[in-house]
Amino acid sequence: MRPIPRSLLGILLVIVALLAVFPQFVERYYVQLATKIIVMAIFAMSLDLLVGYTRLVSLGHAAFFGLAGYALAVLQRDLGLVSLWTTLPLTLVVCALAALLVGALAIRTSGIYFIMVTLAIAQMLYYFANDTKALGGSDGMFLATKPTAELFGVAIFDLKNRTTFYYFALAALVASFLVARMVLASLFGRAIDAVRCNEPRARALGFTTWHYKLAMFTIAGTVAGLAGYVGAAQDGIVNPAFLSWHQSGQALVIVILGGMGTLYGPVAGAFVLIVLEDVAAGITEHWLLFIGVFVIAVVLLLPRGIASLPLGDFAGRLFGRGARKRAAAEPGDD
Amino acid sequence: MTEPLLETRGLSKQFGGLAAVNDVSVAFEAGRVHAVIGPNGAGKTTFLNLLSGEMRPTSGAVLFKGSAITGLTPDRIARLGIGRSFQRTNVFTELTCFENCWIAAQSRLPTSLRFFRPAGRRGDLAAAARDSLEQCGLIDRQDRIAAALSHGERRQLEIAMILATQPELLLFDEPLAGMGYRESQDVIALLRRIAQSHTLVLIEHDMDAVFSIADRVTVLVNGTVLETGPVAAIQSSPAVQAAYLGAEEQP
Repeated sequence: MRPIPRSLLGILLVIVALLAVFPQFVERYYVQLATKIIVMAIFAMSLDLLVGYTRLVSLGHAAFFGLAGYALAVLQRDLGLVSLWTTLPLTLVVCALAALLVGALAIRTSGIYFIMVTLAIAQMLYYFANDTKALGGSDGMFLATKPTAELFGVAIFDLKNRTTFYYFALAALVASFLVARMVLASLFGRAIDAVRCNEPRARALGFTTWHYKLAMFTIAGTVAGLAGYVGAAQDGIVNPAFLSWHQSGQALVIVILGGMGTLYGPVAGAFVLIVLEDVAAGITEHWLLFIGVFVIAVVLLLPRGIASLPLGDFAGRLFGRGARKRAAAEPGDD
Repeated sequence: MTEPLLETRGLSKQFGGLAAVNDVSVAFEAGRVHAVIGPNGAGKTTFLNLLSGEMRPTSGAVLFKGSAITGLTPDRIARLGIGRSFQRTNVFTELTCFENCWIAAQSRLPTSLRFFRPAGRRGDLAAAARDSLEQCGLIDRQDRIAAALSHGERRQLEIAMILATQPELLLFDEPLAGMGYRESQDVIALLRRIAQSHTLVLIEHDMDAVFSIADRVTVLVNGTVLETGPVAAIQSSPAVQAAYLGAEEQP
């Protein structure tokens, strides 16, 4: 994994700081919109672990997003669990196990077949949820309450408050980013580099490559589960749309739009795409057409996504570090 | 005669009706350089792929240090101490020379399913990577992206990667293919140095190189062994000359 340039790290910190103070200055609607964006950002970032870092293109990633929503709803309704401290870990465990199982089937294939297998499994889950009365069928399930966060009987924060919920989502985003960075910087991350760059060579060196692909699939599915948990908790409802291939497809568009293999690219992609959708939908009912043109334009003009915009250079000048000077000092490094 | 490090017994590989490798039994002795030669389509690369696990044999057995490794996957075979190079040089082109060798050294850890500590702190792997780059004369290229290397340098890098995995036995698939004279001389010198402390199996077209490096030679024709013996015996064998050398030397 290429480390994030220091200048860009500065920008990321500034963005997180701006996001932290943002709810103090805007209407409630925008806080909710930002929460929705953050959920999508976590989801797209988890897909980036597969698509960008492992070259496993999944079109069924919503399976874990939706599964988390249904897991939360079922834990609440059937087991009477309402606490964040129990429902969140249980949901993540369910998603991890599901991803381990799905991955064990899917990673035996590659390329177009991997896309088809992941899509097929997600569609099976979609129709299962859609046709199961106990899961609310096509209407989905309502969540009776937001997860509660009590410590020794005292509520330490209240997720019913929309601003608090926003901070909860933001914390989930930052945590996901940090966990992904840690995993990518570890020995496992180096093995994943080898698998992505040249799998036959990695195998001939002695890496049992499917172990690493399966582990990454499981991690990505678990992080997608975190996104689904936060998303379902925000909406107060989970329905088959959470599992739909539209959901998987949108995450894929966001990853490509933002820039594969960067983690922060998909976050930027989620912000750009969803804000644009919101604005375009307010102007015309043919807004999808505009989104389509925009996505095509970005893909043609910025093949490596929004993340390839020279923000790093800009930040370098802003923070007085001189990105150009550094570039000259490290020839041949890309 | 010493105990063979690697041995094949009746090894065969069928592709449909074609027997690419047919009942091949060869013993590769420890500490020797054993070349496998033969005309195009003789089944040399298929034979090597059977040794390294890239392909599964139709029948027959491969034994490493006396125990069967037939049908094991390439990663298992690599971990036993058998490294290989590919006919088309096979490195991580997006990574630097140093990173290539670093990852090769990492492949020798019991597992890389370690998610928490930053890999950058593994000074032992960095040292192993630098050591193998040094041996292959690439230390001044360590920060260059592999894609930016010359053909010969990339071949040297692949050899450095194999050395970083600390193998006992190295399998080379035409290490001199597509190389100019100077580059060939560098690689030949490198192979000689490696041969001092390793066992080598070498598939090669360049006869001068084969006869200058190898101790023993096996001649493969149409998937079967025509003859195996010391270099001098092979050079003077009438059957080999008729089947292979003679045909090539004629104008």
